[in-house]
Amino acid sequence: MALAGEDFCIVAADTRQSDGYHINCRYAPKAHQLSDKTVIGTSGFYADGLNFVKKIKQRMEWYFHQHDKTMSTTAIAQLISIMLYQKRFFPYYVFCVIGGIDENGKGCVYSYDSVGNAERVQYQAAGSGNELLQPFLDSQIGLKNRSNENETLNLTEEMAIKIVKDAFSSVTERDIHTGDCVEIYIIRKDGVECQKYPLKRD
Amino acid sequence: MFLTRSEYDRGVNTFSPEGRLFQVEYAIEAIKMGSTAIGIQTSEGVILAVEKRITSTLLEPSSIEKILEIDSHVGCAMSGLNADARTMIDHARVQAQNHTFVYDEPIKIESITQAICDLALRFGEGAQGEESIMSRPFGVALLIAGCDENGPQLFHADPSGTFTKYQAKAIGSGSEGAQTELQENYHKSLTLKEAETLSLKVLKQVMEEKVNSVNVQLCSVTPNEGFHIYSEEEVNEIINTL
Amino acid sequence: MAAKTGFNFDNYQRNLFMEYGKGNNMKLPKATKTGTTIVGLMFKDGIVLGADTRATEGPIVADKNCEKIHYIAPNMYCCGAGTAADTEMTTALISSNIELHCLNTGREARVVTAMTMLKQLLFKYQGHIGAALILGGVDCTGPHLYTIYPHGSTDKLPYVTMGSGSLAAMAVFEAKYKKDLERQEAIDLVAEAIQAGIFNDMGSGSNVDVCVLTKGKVDYLRNYIKPNVRKEKEQVYKFNIGVTPVIKESIRNLVDVVDVNEMEIDQ
Repeated sequence: MALAGEDFCIVAADTRQSDGYHINCRYAPKAHQLSDKTVIGTSGFYADGLNFVKKIKQRMEWYFHQHDKTMSTTAIAQLISIMLYQKRFFPYYVFCVIGGIDENGKGCVYSYDSVGNAERVQYQAAGSGNELLQPFLDSQIGLKNRSNENETLNLTEEMAIKIVKDAFSSVTERDIHTGDCVEIYIIRKDGVECQKYPLKRD
Repeated sequence: MFLTRSEYDRGVNTFSPEGRLFQVEYAIEAIKMGSTAIGIQTSEGVILAVEKRITSTLLEPSSIEKILEIDSHVGCAMSGLNADARTMIDHARVQAQNHTFVYDEPIKIESITQAICDLALRFGEGAQGEESIMSRPFGVALLIAGCDENGPQLFHADPSGTFTKYQAKAIGSGSEGAQTELQENYHKSLTLKEAETLSLKVLKQVMEEKVNSVNVQLCSVTPNEGFHIYSEEEVNEIINTL
Repeated sequence: MAAKTGFNFDNYQRNLFMEYGKGNNMKLPKATKTGTTIVGLMFKDGIVLGADTRATEGPIVADKNCEKIHYIAPNMYCCGAGTAADTEMTTALISSNIELHCLNTGREARVVTAMTMLKQLLFKYQGHIGAALILGGVDCTGPHLYTIYPHGSTDKLPYVTMGSGSLAAMAVFEAKYKKDLERQEAIDLVAEAIQAGIFNDMGSGSNVDVCVLTKGKVDYLRNYIKPNVRKEKEQVYKFNIGVTPVIKESIRNLVDVVDVNEMEIDQ
């Protein structure tokens, strides 16, 4: 999942990797740092996810050498969309979200389907727990279905981290594929920090 | 002069014993016969100015296009074989559009210049033995002007595939005189307005005909407005201040 | 009126549509499964049964603390894996029949009797009753432990596991099972096997239930171990009163209230 604040952004993913009822690995990172302004979270077919991230990093490296600058979050966002669509008829089995800081210093989140449909959003859940997580984010961050319409959320970093932790511990309760550990990437304008928290292992 | 060059100027891929590529040097020679083009970079934007040679009274002056748009933030002036320039600019336009498509941002001026120069070297066969697409070097030099996150910039690209960044540069038949003139008059705090006037003043000095709104072409590239070609009226206004 | 003879093709199209594997796969409604770890073993004095407490519906945890060790008779218990409804109904039905059987015979039922009844029922339904069971009990002939598969086959073994976590649990048994274990050793081994299922099989989870059956005594140790207690949340998510918007309001009189004077009531 990912969510954007005013001047920060959070990308978080659990680290369980499974097949059917079997746990292959309890620490298989699904979130990857792309630059000091951008982090990607992947779900779906793990090998495709790893390979896709590898290819993005390669394209970013080329871009860096060709244009002598690091790719911006918006440029990465567009690149990912195109890379996914290039495999329209044999897609990467990957559902990704990216979070970062845009050119204006604002937090931003982009979410994708497996063939490259992209949308800039404030928050997004993806993967096996997405049906459980998205309504929670809609309620707590989107403030959906509330009569007090002029209420605005001033989302601080501390609040956001608490919501992310609760979101993951709650999804772990009800989604069998989620568990073991959660990695929370906090992207600020002066860099990226990664925090790890244990989740239930059953 | 040419007698001394023996047969080392036959193949485009053959160095002379002195280590020269004559075909490339001839191509650079071709530019010296081309019409004069001038570029001036200021902190507010870049000005490109070219002379149009109206060789016949029956010629339709508007059909001579020596300044072209590459992208909304990049323009280009040419001197030499204009037809060659079209090939390069077509390539540059594709590169610029492709960059915007892939990265959702305008391409940098240095990058687009590099892309053009990559093409300029495609006359020989490739390193992996690919077929060459051109049988000879391009016979044209370009002044590439644009604005990106690094501000207004001016680049000069020549047939050898070399590109150089300039604050002010003249190419073509009158380039020597024009360059001297630019050197004397250029300073870093030049405004766009002053650059407009300077460019036409320099052109006026090196052109055989009298400068008018028909035989020169002028464009500006600014951070806000992007690429803009001056209309005859706008050119006239500047000429009147000379 | 045409004569009502010959074939009726009314449902042909419908049946074609419902058929599997021809593009139109009409999905049958999903049943709650107890993607489960259940185990049983024989020890010196009797039988220990064990189960986890997670019930799943596809990838979703439907019940975090369900009971999978079912009562059959005072001397017999049965662990169920598979479709929750099937295990529940099957064991309840056999439990009733065993009770009737006891009343008819005037004796305590034997484990083999319950096992035979179960396998005959399951065989009759050709596997359509998705119940995989571990039946354990102590009768006049001693302790017995059986597994019964959904198609009706049975095994009689000293230590058994079933459900999606059966491999994880069996790995523990194969490594550590010995004949004639002490009571506490047996309980510990069962708990360890169940926990192997809880942590390594995603269909199993939450707590450990244990049931110890010895001659004349049953100890049902519900939630014997709770290795997965949820930590406290970071925040309280309480909605203020009035937060839910009222979109429409409509009040209907379901009863007509009529004023009746007291005189009429008296009459």
